[in-house]
Amino acid sequence: MRPLDPRLLRRSRAARGFVLAGGALALLQAGATIGFAWALATLVTRFIDGAAPRSFGGILALLLVAASVRALSGWLWEWVGSAGAMRVKAELRDDLLAALERRPGGIRNLTTARAATLLGPGLDALDEYFGRYLPQLVLTVVATPVLIVAVWTADWVSGLIMVIVLPLIPVFMALVGMATEAVQRRQWQRLQSLSKGFLEVLGGLSTLLVFGRAERQVTRIRTVTDAYRSSTMKVLRVTFLSGFTLELAASLSVALVAVSIGLRLVAGDFTLAPGLFVLVLAPDVFLPLRNVGAAFHASTAGLEASRDALDLLDQAEADAAGGTGAPATAAATVAAQPHARGASEPDPAGLRIRDLRVLRDGSPVLEGFDVDAAPGEFVVVMGESGSGKSSLLAALLGFAEVEGEAALDGEPIGAATRSRIAWSGQSSQLLAGTIADNVRLGHADAPGALLDRALRLGGVDLPADRVLGPGGTGLSGGQAQRVATARAVHRLLATDGRLLLLDEPSSALDPDRERALGARLRELAREGRIVLATTHRAGLADAADRVIRLPEVARV
Amino acid sequence: MSDRAEAVLRQAVPPVRRLLPSVLLGVAAGLSSVLLLASSAWLIARAAEQPPVLYLSVAVVGVRAFALGRAVFRYLERLAGHDAAFRQLATIRAGVFERLLPLAPDGLASSRRGDLLARFVGDVDELQNVSLRIVQPVVSAAVVLVAAIAGLAWLAPASALAVGGCLAVGIAAAILAQQVIAARADRRLAPLRGELQAAVVEHVQALEVLVAFDAAAAGRARIRRLGLRLERATRLRASAVGIAAAAMSAVGGFAAAASLSAAEPLLAGGRIDGPTFAVLCLVPLAIAEVASALPIAVGSLRVVRASAERVANAVPEEIPAEVPTTPAEPVALLAPTSTSTRVPAPALRLRGVRARWPEVGGADATAAGDVGRTGAPAALDALDLDVAPGERLLVEGESGAGKTTLAHVLVRFLEYKGSYRLGDAEVRDLDPRDVRRVVGLVEQRPWLFDEDLRQNLAFARDTASDEELLAVLDRVGLAEWAAERGGLDAPVGERGALVSGGQAQRIALARAMLADFPVLVLDEPTASVDADRADALLRDLLEAAGRDRTVVLISHTGAPHELVDRAVTLRPGTNAPVQPGS
Repeated sequence: MRPLDPRLLRRSRAARGFVLAGGALALLQAGATIGFAWALATLVTRFIDGAAPRSFGGILALLLVAASVRALSGWLWEWVGSAGAMRVKAELRDDLLAALERRPGGIRNLTTARAATLLGPGLDALDEYFGRYLPQLVLTVVATPVLIVAVWTADWVSGLIMVIVLPLIPVFMALVGMATEAVQRRQWQRLQSLSKGFLEVLGGLSTLLVFGRAERQVTRIRTVTDAYRSSTMKVLRVTFLSGFTLELAASLSVALVAVSIGLRLVAGDFTLAPGLFVLVLAPDVFLPLRNVGAAFHASTAGLEASRDALDLLDQAEADAAGGTGAPATAAATVAAQPHARGASEPDPAGLRIRDLRVLRDGSPVLEGFDVDAAPGEFVVVMGESGSGKSSLLAALLGFAEVEGEAALDGEPIGAATRSRIAWSGQSSQLLAGTIADNVRLGHADAPGALLDRALRLGGVDLPADRVLGPGGTGLSGGQAQRVATARAVHRLLATDGRLLLLDEPSSALDPDRERALGARLRELAREGRIVLATTHRAGLADAADRVIRLPEVARV
Repeated sequence: MSDRAEAVLRQAVPPVRRLLPSVLLGVAAGLSSVLLLASSAWLIARAAEQPPVLYLSVAVVGVRAFALGRAVFRYLERLAGHDAAFRQLATIRAGVFERLLPLAPDGLASSRRGDLLARFVGDVDELQNVSLRIVQPVVSAAVVLVAAIAGLAWLAPASALAVGGCLAVGIAAAILAQQVIAARADRRLAPLRGELQAAVVEHVQALEVLVAFDAAAAGRARIRRLGLRLERATRLRASAVGIAAAAMSAVGGFAAAASLSAAEPLLAGGRIDGPTFAVLCLVPLAIAEVASALPIAVGSLRVVRASAERVANAVPEEIPAEVPTTPAEPVALLAPTSTSTRVPAPALRLRGVRARWPEVGGADATAAGDVGRTGAPAALDALDLDVAPGERLLVEGESGAGKTTLAHVLVRFLEYKGSYRLGDAEVRDLDPRDVRRVVGLVEQRPWLFDEDLRQNLAFARDTASDEELLAVLDRVGLAEWAAERGGLDAPVGERGALVSGGQAQRIALARAMLADFPVLVLDEPTASVDADRADALLRDLLEAAGRDRTVVLISHTGAPHELVDRAVTLRPGTNAPVQPGS
């Protein structure tokens, strides 16, 4: 396992800054530690030798300064660590959001829920990673060698002991890890399901009450938690072994160094001052490595988080570069055809679709679709669920991969035509804020009269200053749907767009409201725009100029 | 901090006998650590005087023993500490659950919102750290510190005083920084973090909309600004935590210098020898390392306290008036003649029924950004309603008309005013559990346990054989689907992640069929189903429910009226007169 993903350093300026600042700090800390050990050893030795105390003011001052510098570096580490975490998180978050925006149709294998987790709690794992693990890692890499050189200079035997023992620690830890991996993996699954036991009981409490099963859960909670304890302890007995290895190696080498120095002192081969110096320094040589071991969990969680994020960025970039399935490229294949036919098409105004094929994850969800819609027309597309209605709209927005010909006013459909299209999806997807904020999304500076008109056309009968919660909570399904429709209408009016796409705008409306909506959409179309709505109910279709039925597709 | 949170914390402290092994092992590990340095220092300083090797052998053995002891005791301490914490966790969880039970489900915030539930469970589980990260390390460290300073005092009282003084100042500074500055920063950080997370979730979920409306870049800029604000707030916290770390790091060096200065006159006066002097000068370093556990524990206490506070808030002290309680002497509800035959469906008769939802976990809900508590379902006002035995009644009405409130009154989750009779009995006089044996509910979002299909069905009737379970699956139209997935062993996933909304409804109905409720309330069974499949699902559900039980079907989108015997409409706000449907 790599301790630090090199891609993180390549991509993130903040991560590089952290490593540089940390390296400098580690050198400072190593210097202070050596100064402290030297001052303490010298003072003790000289006092024992009976020298006059007056001459030691300078060394005592050095001792205190070194201790203070060490404390200061500890303080700075907190700063560097937390600032590093925050900045790297902000960078990754921004990059990831930008990557998602370039592919609004979705990135393969990435659900919305996973993306939200990845960007939120997922990245938070980097707090501990930068705050606790990486500082110790940098110290191990930078400070430990400096300290060993200092020990070696004072006493090469002790230096040699450390040089031999230190590399053994990771080796032993790896051996313990390998030997216990199988046990761990066996326990893990069981542990996962046991750890959820309490949440399941609480979450299903009303269900348990309905079935008169709630009271007996007290004993069950105890049993499940106790089973969780014994399983976890089995895992921990093994997990803590690697910590034990570290601790044992560190304290045994201190003992080894102390005894070896003691025996050479007795023999008269050595002097007290370097002996004490090495003794004071020895625990500090092992400290960063011990802390790395202690922060092992923080490292795996943080690595996983950064790997997930970086993988996603790489994949997004590879998709964009390779062009396999990227909507932008698919639109380009479409591009050639309308121009070739340009001569035989005297009037390219309106929407023209020929033999359209829409693909999702490489397989077709809609095939052989033809439609022509002239400005002023209200067209309704009918079809059962799964017949590809939503995919058709996604294709017209340039969100989906398509083959065939699709053009708006002679220009091939793609990201560029999006500016002339307004759209409302099957789910309302409102945002936190007022109804007016929602309706004016993306066009906040449009004149107020447009807002009123959009609200009327959408059929919103609520005050525009009503505040909605996150995700537009606080409205019923039908109300939310009408606000979403008004939002699309507002964009159409604000941009003087050509095409209004509405996906099931009446699925949560009662028949009266549905009929009224149909009439208003017709009115909107008469102004010289194209309105294209999908539905599975007859109510909306009655008002349309034209109804296109999608054949039922066998659902996979 | 409130008294109730204190009480929650106290309950999380394990009894002495459970704590003792880990504390003793912690003391042994800490003492080994101090004695390792002491014996090493003595060994080296004494060896420099070049005595016969024999005089050093005890120290050599000591050095090795303490080195070994430190590692072994630390390992055992960690195991014993975790074991004690997990044992306590069982007590904590069961205790909290017992306090929740009388309030469940409608008196609890956590049962209304998934995110609150996850946080509540996290908070309860956080309480195990009272033992693991606070009580046990603090007690062990305190014992070691007292013993070590007593040892110093035995060698040189002045040194002990100097070291003790340095420690007291350092620890006090560290704790103060943790308690005051870091606590203030935490209070500022929490809402900012929530805001950022909410913004990210919203951005990702509404990404298609944002792109289609050219609003994505603006949204991303907003998230970047929130990130910057969070970074600034984090700096304050880092400086506080940094002060604590720096204080503990400085304390070792300063204590060593102080001890050295205090012991030097003794050495010069010949009252202590050189090796003792070396011990006095070096041991403060090891003592400071032991002491560094204290500010860390204080930091943990801060986290645990916040959790305890939230747990205390989530469980109201008194049962709100809106939550039904079991009457002291409940009236028996038409006892079934034998356990196997089921109660015949009684008539339901509601007169002037009013009901509303209790205020729950106010602080929690607002902290989570719940705007105006709009999520709380509406009240029910002066409702008259009759449901005849075996009747199929459709209750329609917009969101906010109080349909779910009605469902919860019917199954006795919510208290009511007015009169609600089951047959001849006033429901208020009955044991709520008896009511729920007669009136069953299939919830809007039925909870599926992360087990297999068998366990998700069998808890409704644990005597049911596999054949019976398969038969009921067949009735709700899931036989084929289940067979494809491995029959009753098919997993349903976490919160039913592996099944669709319609399948979850069918499974929930199958459970209700197994429990064989004479009266069945279906609350918005089509809420999480595509609009164009809703009617088909309703048809299947009602057919499976059969004609021999009363069904109250609640739906805001309505239902084909030929499926039901009668339809009524609830109107929000007004006195909710029930109007006869078609």
